[in-house]
Amino acid sequence: MLEIPAQIWQKTKTSYIWRSLFRHGYPDSRKNQSLAVFTNVFLHLHPVKVRRHALAIPYTWCMGGLSFFLFLILTLTGTLLMFYYHPSVDGVYNAYGDIKDLETVVVFGQLLRNMHRWAAHGMVITVFLHMIRVFYTGSYKPPREFNWVIGTLLFFFTILLSYTGYLLPWDQLAFWAVTVGYEIARATPVIGDEFAFVAFGGFQLGPNALLRFYVLHVVGLPLLTGFLIAIHFWRIRKDGGITGPL
Amino acid sequence: MTTPRGPQPFAGQEKRLRLLAFVRQDSIVRVDKRVEDTAMVWPHLLVIEFIASMLWSIGLFVIAAAFNAPLQDHATPDCTPNPSKAPWYLLNLQELLLHMDKGLAGVIVPTVWLTFMAVIPYIDTSREGVGIWFTSANGKRITIFAAVYATVLTFSLILLDAFLKRPEDQGGFGYIEKATRYLPGGKQLFPNYIIPIVLMIGLSVLLVLIVKRLYAANTREWMIAIYTGFVAVYLVLTVVGTSMRGPGMDLFAPWAVPATHQCLEPKA
Repeated sequence: MLEIPAQIWQKTKTSYIWRSLFRHGYPDSRKNQSLAVFTNVFLHLHPVKVRRHALAIPYTWCMGGLSFFLFLILTLTGTLLMFYYHPSVDGVYNAYGDIKDLETVVVFGQLLRNMHRWAAHGMVITVFLHMIRVFYTGSYKPPREFNWVIGTLLFFFTILLSYTGYLLPWDQLAFWAVTVGYEIARATPVIGDEFAFVAFGGFQLGPNALLRFYVLHVVGLPLLTGFLIAIHFWRIRKDGGITGPL
Repeated sequence: MTTPRGPQPFAGQEKRLRLLAFVRQDSIVRVDKRVEDTAMVWPHLLVIEFIASMLWSIGLFVIAAAFNAPLQDHATPDCTPNPSKAPWYLLNLQELLLHMDKGLAGVIVPTVWLTFMAVIPYIDTSREGVGIWFTSANGKRITIFAAVYATVLTFSLILLDAFLKRPEDQGGFGYIEKATRYLPGGKQLFPNYIIPIVLMIGLSVLLVLIVKRLYAANTREWMIAIYTGFVAVYLVLTVVGTSMRGPGMDLFAPWAVPATHQCLEPKA
């Protein structure tokens, strides 16, 4: 009896189509484990082997990886939220009404919004913890100096992403929290008013600010962040992977 | 069926081995590392990543199912909540705003700090202690010292500022009134610029001098002191801004903060 599925499996594995999809056998040998990593577009972020030290959770805290993981979750949930959202202050379809709809009408809308919200808070925390881990383990030292600079930029962009997203529900909480930021922007020496005008699209928080924050939140900042993440990861690889004792 | 260990050709592909498979990874990036020190990414690292991502997915799912994201009334420019607060991760800046000029607290200090953080590797260029938590036992002692130093000082300064700025008839020092009357530049120059700048730079320099004196700190170690100080200040400001500021951004004990007034000045 069992020969039949085994034969089918064997036939499938040696078929033309299967072999065009997978260029290696099941990763139970060193060679196939190597092939599994470097013939896969997602896994090839990793080298084939890492130092054992790099696997120790008390050392890495997993925080860099989890920050990236939250970034991916935020991209996914954020894209889904975009289907239900109009960056408009009033009118029949408006931001606040859309959030209300998400909470009451859309199936799993509330859950979707909650996941996006809490993941965003989580990412601020994980990026911060990642930075702390990197600093105290001296991982910014040569040859990783510039990657640390990129890391500080990524921390800054994480805050900006979270902050621009904060305005989008257009409720009292969002409006006044962002007003605090607006007042800070206006207090920039020399170019305060001009800077606030460009960043918020006017001399007070209104439809322009919402639209600007929306575009920055869903296009500009994620692209920039993704770009920096790519460089960040690439440089980790090129600099010999995660740090460890010399 | 048992599979022989080690490299093996897969069905129908015996002759198509690619050269890349034979390039030893160590020869590319790490010349000095022995093979015994390494582990295969598949399965060892991928298992960790898989478990971590599953746990976090489940955790996020549970949190999202249990707690709803806040949503208040429709934004109304005419109704200012008292206090209006920034998101928690910016409350450290908002807290700083209470103690000095807005531009200084909100723009200059964070810009200087981010720039300083970015250039840390260009100041501390040694390779000492890479991959070791706190570099050394001395580094650990310095971390603890700097954390206590910065926490105690920041907290004391916040309390001191609250006392000094309270008007005299309410049992405070009436600092703003006195500054307006007696200090050159009134309530701007000294209270908002000179004193905060002197304190921020002075206390940082003092911290470095202390750890150099007490712990014979080298560059890496005084960098640890400064960075720890920053993290501690950042956390104290965030905690105070989040849980100890009530209406009027006045200071309260965390358990006695009054509820936010939803409208400060409702217009008709």
